[in-house]
Amino acid sequence: MRELELRHFRNLGVQELHFPPEGVAVIGDNAQGKTNLLEAIYYLESFRSFRGAADGELTAFSEDVFYLKGSVEGDRPATVSAGFDRKRRKKKVSVDGTDAQRMSSALGRLGAVVFSPSDVELVSGGPSARRRFLDILLSLNREGYVEALVGYRKALAQRNAALKANAGAAAVGAWDQGLVGHGARVTHMRHEWATTWSGAFSAYCTAISGCDSVAMKYRPDLGAGGGEPRAGEEAFGDDEGLVQERFRARLAENWETDVRRGVTTVGPHRDELLLTITSRARSLQVRTFGSGGQRRTAALALRLAEAATIRRERGTEPILLLDDAFAELDEGRSRQVMELLRDEGTGQVVLTAPKESDARLRGPSLERWRIHQGVIEA
Amino acid sequence: MSAIDDLTRELRRLPGIGTKTALRLAFHMVKGPKEDIHRLAGALAQVAERIHPCPRCGNYCSAEVCSVCRDPSRDRSVICVVEEAYEVGAIERTGRYGGLFHVLGGRLSPLDGVGPGQLDIDGLLERVSDPEEKPKEVILATNASVEGEATAVYLETLLRPHGLRITRLARGIPVGSDLEYVDGTTIAEALAGRREVGDGSA
Ligand SMILES: [Zn+2]
Repeated sequence: MRELELRHFRNLGVQELHFPPEGVAVIGDNAQGKTNLLEAIYYLESFRSFRGAADGELTAFSEDVFYLKGSVEGDRPATVSAGFDRKRRKKKVSVDGTDAQRMSSALGRLGAVVFSPSDVELVSGGPSARRRFLDILLSLNREGYVEALVGYRKALAQRNAALKANAGAAAVGAWDQGLVGHGARVTHMRHEWATTWSGAFSAYCTAISGCDSVAMKYRPDLGAGGGEPRAGEEAFGDDEGLVQERFRARLAENWETDVRRGVTTVGPHRDELLLTITSRARSLQVRTFGSGGQRRTAALALRLAEAATIRRERGTEPILLLDDAFAELDEGRSRQVMELLRDEGTGQVVLTAPKESDARLRGPSLERWRIHQGVIEA
Repeated sequence: MSAIDDLTRELRRLPGIGTKTALRLAFHMVKGPKEDIHRLAGALAQVAERIHPCPRCGNYCSAEVCSVCRDPSRDRSVICVVEEAYEVGAIERTGRYGGLFHVLGGRLSPLDGVGPGQLDIDGLLERVSDPEEKPKEVILATNASVEGEATAVYLETLLRPHGLRITRLARGIPVGSDLEYVDGTTIAEALAGRREVGDGSA
């Protein structure tokens, strides 16, 4: 990130910022707008709030419109802008001065990853939290994923509406082709990501915490029927044709259940990214059986894998947005994470911290900015 | 002022017209010659009184049946099924299609309350089993969206027992785009490259 123009985004007012190439440490008390700044930067990557806020909430209280514009340098220079009009409920996105006809064509131009204390919910939350993680990651990094996901969600919602309306086998079954085609692609691409990065994920966990054997694996609902993974299932998601075939068979098996419940009971909307720890030869979910430290470690490892994905898929160093990220980690673990980040690459870092002393450990050489009531002083 | 308010309100109900545009149009009419308003009103009245869906194919017409259905030189062995009547115009403008049409009047979308009963599917089934028409091929030219594809799949299951050739437009029509906005050459190519559907894949 070289330049960032802010207009009425949250409490940040109207400002223009010029970032040093190695990054910056933003120091300020809580509720001054530190996280808002990272949220603004990441908005230009994904066109939504990483905190899950609606666009209307991002507009300054007394204003109707917010506008953001940022430029990145490097191998893939780009200028991305986004504006939202609260009254007209209109969002406009442009890349290098040209309005994007589809939001999906403008996604992922910055190459940024957010590390936040709330990431622990990725691990401790339900399966939908981890599917959401995969959906955002793959939407930003893999061509064709957004289209498959949107197509799948549409077909699923329509099929469920047809089931609720008691539309009959032919009118419900009409959605199966779209459901299976898009759904198999979604499952396949998620599975492929998890398989590619499971080794790195475990290695990150070990590097951060020193011990703990934590593993990551994608469990397609289509393969397991809800229970523990069956033998030979590992290869299941590798072959998209096989996924399609299996999906069709499971839809047929579940037909009566679907009709009775008025909802589609099989498909990637029920898949799980399993994170497990091995203890006495038993595989236990970190979500339920992990300690607080293990959950935080696994969450950091997911973000590190996300950063590594950007590096591999886009060939650029990711911008690391560290939102007081290690507040709840002990000193040893946070030092490990900083070392890992340094070993992996030399991308730009924008970190926030409430006190100067917190920033020292994480980035001694970074330029310091202060933030007070939304105003940033370089 | 209330007549202008009424007019503005009516204009606002048209697609793509907001309050500002509606006001601009209304004042433009008021400022212009009275004959212009009467001519517009007359044209609207004509549409209301004379235009109706063709009882055979659903295309809009003012005669008893539409000009396509009436034309003896059209190839009666092919029926091209489209979602909306304005798509008939898009295909006609290519000048490369000589068969008949059937307008469904929409596409399946249970989320919007549109099921098979809301579309003119019965009319299509009547036509394919009518011994006088007896078409040999039905082209499913619904849009390449999730809804358009599902509508095509649904029609295919109903048409299959009639033993005719069922085809779908070739890929090339951008996914999710309405025929209305696709250029003529692309439509003509998609028509020429249409492929048979239902060979075990659906
Ligand atoms: Zn007609």
